[in-house]
Amino acid sequence: MKTLKGAGAAQPLLYDCGFAREIYALEGGAQLKRCMQCGVCAVSCPSRQEMDYTPRRLFSLIRAGRKEEVLDANTIWVCTSCCTCRVRCPRGIDILGLMHELQFYYLRSWFKVHSRASFQQAFWQELRERGRIGEAGVMLRCWLKEGGLTGAVLKSLEMKGTGLRLLRRGRLRLIPPKIEGLTGLNKIIDKALAQQGYAE
Amino acid sequence: MRYSFYPGCSMEGTAVAYCKSLVAAAWALGLYLEVIPDWNCCGATVAPGLAGSYTSRVLAARNLALAASRGLDVLVGCSACYLALSGANRRFQEDALFRIRAKEALAEGGLRYDGNLRVRQVLEVIAHDVGLDKVRERVRQPLTGLYVAGYVGCQTVRAVPWSFDDPEKPQFLEKLIEALGAVAVPFPAKVHCCGGSRAAAAPGEALGYVKNILEAAESAGAALVITPCPMCQFNLEVNQLRINQTCGGSFNLPVLFFTQLICVAFGLAPAAGLKHCLVPPYRALSRFRP
Repeated sequence: MKTLKGAGAAQPLLYDCGFAREIYALEGGAQLKRCMQCGVCAVSCPSRQEMDYTPRRLFSLIRAGRKEEVLDANTIWVCTSCCTCRVRCPRGIDILGLMHELQFYYLRSWFKVHSRASFQQAFWQELRERGRIGEAGVMLRCWLKEGGLTGAVLKSLEMKGTGLRLLRRGRLRLIPPKIEGLTGLNKIIDKALAQQGYAE
Repeated sequence: MRYSFYPGCSMEGTAVAYCKSLVAAAWALGLYLEVIPDWNCCGATVAPGLAGSYTSRVLAARNLALAASRGLDVLVGCSACYLALSGANRRFQEDALFRIRAKEALAEGGLRYDGNLRVRQVLEVIAHDVGLDKVRERVRQPLTGLYVAGYVGCQTVRAVPWSFDDPEKPQFLEKLIEALGAVAVPFPAKVHCCGGSRAAAAPGEALGYVKNILEAAESAGAALVITPCPMCQFNLEVNQLRINQTCGGSFNLPVLFFTQLICVAFGLAPAAGLKHCLVPPYRALSRFRP
């Protein structure tokens, strides 16, 4: 019998009835109710072989309230956002959007960190501080998050060849971009987060 | 015809050749582009996972608000930007509750947007506003005998399904290749995923995707691959070199943006930005350059 993480070993839990409701309340989350378990998303997914659960199984687990299994699964993190499932879904569910919302749910209200989320966090940091994304900046931030200073130096050395090649071909900016209206952008983002009841 | 142009972050960096060749090709086809002033990152498919779809759509809408006063259609080249901007725009037009809340958030930054614009992909504009006949007329240097694989990728045709092409079996890029005088090789892997931003986050995991696509293009006899997506171009080119180094592959397939090929066929080779290619396309294109 599995226990819910953080709930203490004394309380064995098979179902978390509130979990599905929490997911339905996410942006676009109510669409999940429309899923008829046909499995088209599962056979369409280019990453299906690496997934612990296909999207179809994940949705079934959400409905069953199996919070731990859903959040432990790598499914939402190996999604490549290719949109194939979204285009093919006979019920018109924005599966890609749900994957993103589940990542958001995970990072906001559950563990806050995930080994696969460092790229996203680096991306977001760059967006908040500069308004635009510089490839070199994001990768450096990502490596710093993953392995600290030593890790970043080692990774930079490992990727040196690619970096230099891009630099030589004029495809890598050394001066990172920055927008003028950054304060305004951050105000908009803060407001949007606050409207949903989140703050950074 | 005039358009507001949203370049997107990659067009300032790794896809700088896309920006150059797109502007030149558009100009040659009579499309005049005005860059949206002080545009910001659209959030792509990365920000929604970290800040939620709602916030991500609102920050993408800041660009639409900046372009709103001009009232021109917003032209987008990058497919991830197209997905983010068209998604935000659709919510603005269709979801009244979203509109009210998002307007409130935008007002915080002193901006206003009512959903009055259209977001359009470059290929869609070529299909609907320009037409392949006009492309054919403008060709100065027909690419006769050049075998090209048209790699469409995922989001370009799937962000807004059926906006200009079949999301499962897209044909338009191949028709465009033929219009330039080249031969479009049969290429079933044209909509297979390249691994997207996973290739950046975990390079090792994404090599398989790229290898399959490159093998399909090679066995179809293509001399080069063209694509409308910066992420696809980057993955196919950079991981090609990595596969050659680590897995003993021997790929030597130049991967260009479709606009670069248009520039070569239009006799605008200097504007095509061929010098930015990591896999040099000069041998494949040697017959067509002045």
